[in-house]
Amino acid sequence: MASVSFRNIKKSFGKTDIIHGISFDIRDGEFVVLVGPSGCGKSTLLRMLAGLEDITGGDIVIDDTFVNDLEAKDRDIAMVFQSYALYPHMTVRENMGFSLRLRKADTRVTQERVAHAARILNLEALLERYPRELSGGQRQRVAMGRAIVRDPKVFLFDEPLSNLDAKLRVAMRAEIKELHQRLKTTTVYVTHDQIEAMTMADRIVVMHDGIVEQIGTPLDLFDHPGNLFVAQFIGSPSMNVVRGEFKAGTNVVESQGVQWPVPPNLARHAGRSVHYGIRPSDMTLSASAQGVPAQVVVVEPTGAETELLLQVGQAQLTMVLHGRTKVNPGDTVHLDIDVSKVHLFDGQSEQRLD
Amino acid sequence: MTKSLLKTVTTEAKLLLIGIPVLVWTLVPIYHMFLFAISSKDSATSGRLWPQEPTLQNFDFVFQQKHFYLDHFWIQMGNSLLIALTVGFLTLLIATCAAFAISRLKVRGGRTVMNLALFTYFIPAAFLAVPMYKTMGLYGLLNTQWSLILAMVTIASPYCIWVLKQASDKLPFELDEAARMDGASPLQLFFLVYLPLMVPSLVAVGTYSLLLAWNEYLYAFLLLSNDKSVTVAVALGNFLSADDSPWELLMTTGLIYALPPAAIYYTFKRYMVSGLTAGAVKS
Repeated sequence: MASVSFRNIKKSFGKTDIIHGISFDIRDGEFVVLVGPSGCGKSTLLRMLAGLEDITGGDIVIDDTFVNDLEAKDRDIAMVFQSYALYPHMTVRENMGFSLRLRKADTRVTQERVAHAARILNLEALLERYPRELSGGQRQRVAMGRAIVRDPKVFLFDEPLSNLDAKLRVAMRAEIKELHQRLKTTTVYVTHDQIEAMTMADRIVVMHDGIVEQIGTPLDLFDHPGNLFVAQFIGSPSMNVVRGEFKAGTNVVESQGVQWPVPPNLARHAGRSVHYGIRPSDMTLSASAQGVPAQVVVVEPTGAETELLLQVGQAQLTMVLHGRTKVNPGDTVHLDIDVSKVHLFDGQSEQRLD
Repeated sequence: MTKSLLKTVTTEAKLLLIGIPVLVWTLVPIYHMFLFAISSKDSATSGRLWPQEPTLQNFDFVFQQKHFYLDHFWIQMGNSLLIALTVGFLTLLIATCAAFAISRLKVRGGRTVMNLALFTYFIPAAFLAVPMYKTMGLYGLLNTQWSLILAMVTIASPYCIWVLKQASDKLPFELDEAARMDGASPLQLFFLVYLPLMVPSLVAVGTYSLLLAWNEYLYAFLLLSNDKSVTVAVALGNFLSADDSPWELLMTTGLIYALPPAAIYYTFKRYMVSGLTAGAVKS
């Protein structure tokens, strides 16, 4: 087990800067998820920690040891790859024991550790099979087994679930989380899927264009997104945002003739141009004819919830209703907005206004 | 139903129409050779499709070295074998190391090496025969088997490097990274991960270079001149140096000479299967 510290990490490929100085710490035993859209540098950051990419600038410290110049194999880190990367000419048992074989570990110790990992991952019946004889989920578990056998200081996961089908992904998500709770090994997990990030992480690091946008617990990011990017990236369906003027002396943001209510504690920001954000689940249909008028475009029932696509002025909004609804496309409805859940972001800097 | 059956039959018929002539075309010379080998000296050129009195006497002549041209048959066979095996081994060694270094370790200048390798094939091997002769003379290697071995390795290597480089490019790079994370040094990566996965390509390339050396005539003829150092290919050519060549013995020797490549091919065929890497990564 170990803590990991990134200190002003930079990475360039030739003249292209990929990562522009990132600093944060990961505590011992923590499950940290790096999340962001494709090309944000999250995988590169992970590979730098693994020792598979050179570090252009800054330091990476694992447990008080600077690892910049340490070879991947000397960092005591195990990694699970997106493509599994199992050795096709070795059985599951040999795959899992390979790192110990390279270390010339005692055969009995290797056998014990492989058996232990196989028991944890429910792979005991598959030990003599070859990777080509396994399903996607089983291969993924073998890849995890290969990491567990080593008992490393840090586990790295590079989008491990993106090759699995939706149902298996949910199951494996729970399995990885349970595994972490059991082993309590420091884990860094990279994904572009914010649901994965929300459900698994102790803390999430949201990355965008080579910088860290925000670091926090899943609910912290959901409730208090630090800027417009995080607000729209975290949460599904994503937050509705309209651009408007927070008129001085009023408690509404006006956008294309529509008035959006603002809570009193944000009143001091009046007089600015702002982005007004409200999550789809923080609105309800008004029983009276008061509130923001909207036209229903699409109704998407999913059973427990119903998603509505609404047209308000020029803007299209999503709304999630618990239960079912009788409204039909084309109906005009009124929205009750939970004012305490309103988010305001500065019109220029896109930073959160509190 | 009948329509699809008809279609199958026509397709089959078309294939047969092409296949049978090709088969006959390929087999006739071999049958001809076989026919000579089992005919006595007098009946060899009789023009019959099957000899009146088939005989294995010719094989006895060859194996017992009972003819002027066959005085050193076994030594020459040994030469051919030694040279072919050494060429196969050396070419494999060079090509595998080169392909691993260029494709997996991504050494600097790898592209240049690949381009130079390709460039060697712009010049036909026959053009290089004289310079090669001269070079071998300078090194004092003429008339030793090393001259032919080195020449053949030179000729076979570039192609083998290309083939192996392409094949190793297809191995997922994540495997190397996974091995590095598992603690493998480049040498361990080479022996424990790379080589086992390259077996089909290695067999193909090894067989290619081995057979290339086994069948080589021009360079063998140029670089080796002593009766005891030449290969069977050159010895076969010498049969034709007189007016009354013993055709039946020439063909018998030729037939025997053709057997090892066939054996090699059938032995290694089953290793040349693809799909060994199935299951490594999700594709």
